[in-house]
Amino acid sequence: MTCVRGTVVMACWCLLTACGSDNSGNNTPSTPANALTVSIGASSVCTNVNEPCTAVTVCQPGTSTCQIISDLLVDVGSVGLRIFRSVLSTSLSQAVDSQGRALGECVFFADGGTEWGPVQIADVVLGGSPPARVPVHVIDPTFAGQSASQNPCNSTVDSDPQATGFNGIIGLGLFRQDCGPVCANNDNNNLYFACAANSCTSTAVPLSGQVQNPVWLLPVGNNGIVMSLPNVPATGAATASGSLLIGIGTGTNNMPAAGVSVLTTDANGVLTTVYKGKTIGSSIIDSGSNGLFFPDTSIPSCAAPLQAFYCPPNSLNLSATIVGTNGRQIAVPFQVANTQSLVQTGNAAFNNLGGELSVFDWGLPFFLGRTVYIGIEGQSSPLGTGPLFAF
Amino acid sequence: MTALMYLTVLVPAWAALGQSAASVERDRTMMKGERQSRSGTGYSIETLTVAGMTIKEYVAPNGTVFAVTWRGTGAPNLQLLLGEYFDEYRNELAAARERTPGIRAPLVLKSSRLVVERGGHSRFLWGRAFLPAALPSGIQTEDIQ
Repeated sequence: MTCVRGTVVMACWCLLTACGSDNSGNNTPSTPANALTVSIGASSVCTNVNEPCTAVTVCQPGTSTCQIISDLLVDVGSVGLRIFRSVLSTSLSQAVDSQGRALGECVFFADGGTEWGPVQIADVVLGGSPPARVPVHVIDPTFAGQSASQNPCNSTVDSDPQATGFNGIIGLGLFRQDCGPVCANNDNNNLYFACAANSCTSTAVPLSGQVQNPVWLLPVGNNGIVMSLPNVPATGAATASGSLLIGIGTGTNNMPAAGVSVLTTDANGVLTTVYKGKTIGSSIIDSGSNGLFFPDTSIPSCAAPLQAFYCPPNSLNLSATIVGTNGRQIAVPFQVANTQSLVQTGNAAFNNLGGELSVFDWGLPFFLGRTVYIGIEGQSSPLGTGPLFAF
Repeated sequence: MTALMYLTVLVPAWAALGQSAASVERDRTMMKGERQSRSGTGYSIETLTVAGMTIKEYVAPNGTVFAVTWRGTGAPNLQLLLGEYFDEYRNELAAARERTPGIRAPLVLKSSRLVVERGGHSRFLWGRAFLPAALPSGIQTEDIQ
């Protein structure tokens, strides 16, 4: 195996079965085939606080021309693999519509981040699992004659991995495809675009052509993932490292623990949270959000530029109850500390980072010290049929 | 003269937020959606359904749209919905993302003129934008959902 170590990614040309031997998510003799390593604070690219990252291998479809892409944000709030074109040394196959027009996509994230670029086909290797052939999103502001400021997303789109804080995003959320029936049935979805002669038009894309969750296309372990991250002290930790297992109850290492509670979500992955007597719809569980975001006017916000975060004078012990569409309720205690003090520690992993939002977003602190099961829509596991969360 | 009037009618200020309720119908046409109306206490809500998105435009008794919300699968045309406030939103968003590298949070932009929030995940994006100074009496910001 020959590997060339670059400044941003490790490029690796090798046979699929021999590809990957680093400690950042790929297979080693001591690592189970279905396991990836997830790390916070351990990378020069994933430099955001509470930003869990891993690596996967991407190959030109049907070939052994592959590349390890490191520093991918592990996001259970989104679906599909998205990689900055600037870190890709492997050429992938452009996806086209029935008229031969190149497909592009706009993706909007909760923090206002927006990504534009082509939909391309890759063989994606998760850990030591067999490759999954899957449409992925290549992040490229210049695709189809567009630019970071002028593009079909009507937004300033991300163009630089270092500035954005990741080489890409591996979305391993609740769904098979990122958009699903809405984009299969509606031309005016504003997510998928057909591009010709530098002109792009919103278009419907069949389910199989949409950017998808590579996990559900695997021959084994295609029903979900299990993510386990360690807890950290109240002042945070410089680094934190845990595991992401492919499959739920499909092997010896991903069997649901006794006493795990299952919360099914609605068709859009949404839950309800009850906090201080108020019922908050539109609640989500999302490893790609770096704090616990919820409405509480009694907690002071930080001064600028951290005004999105809470800065209580003393750490607060709080609790909220998450309610699934199956009626199951789980009380979740949590802490919120002073964000200004936390970031001054220079640490990267915090279990008590919170901020203001009009709905409830259970971000990365929720995952620390917990094993969370994420069941994919329509896929069965010992926990039931997804979409579901369990912990 | 006729041509001038024709132009005036054909090229209205795009927009819902801050504009008259008549702009709701323009939004519906532009986005190829469906429309429903509902009157509340002290304000009315115009609901547009566009692909997988439900968009609500809140109209004050004086006929001005003072808030818009969106939720569902897909993406709203914020340039259309925010109208004259869109550039302010876009500039503030770019500035907010520059200000706090290393810390990412769901988007909350607040000024005395304009509040915009966005959040969600794949298959479910939501957001709201409102004009704090234009809220009719009696409505709380948590009523804007």
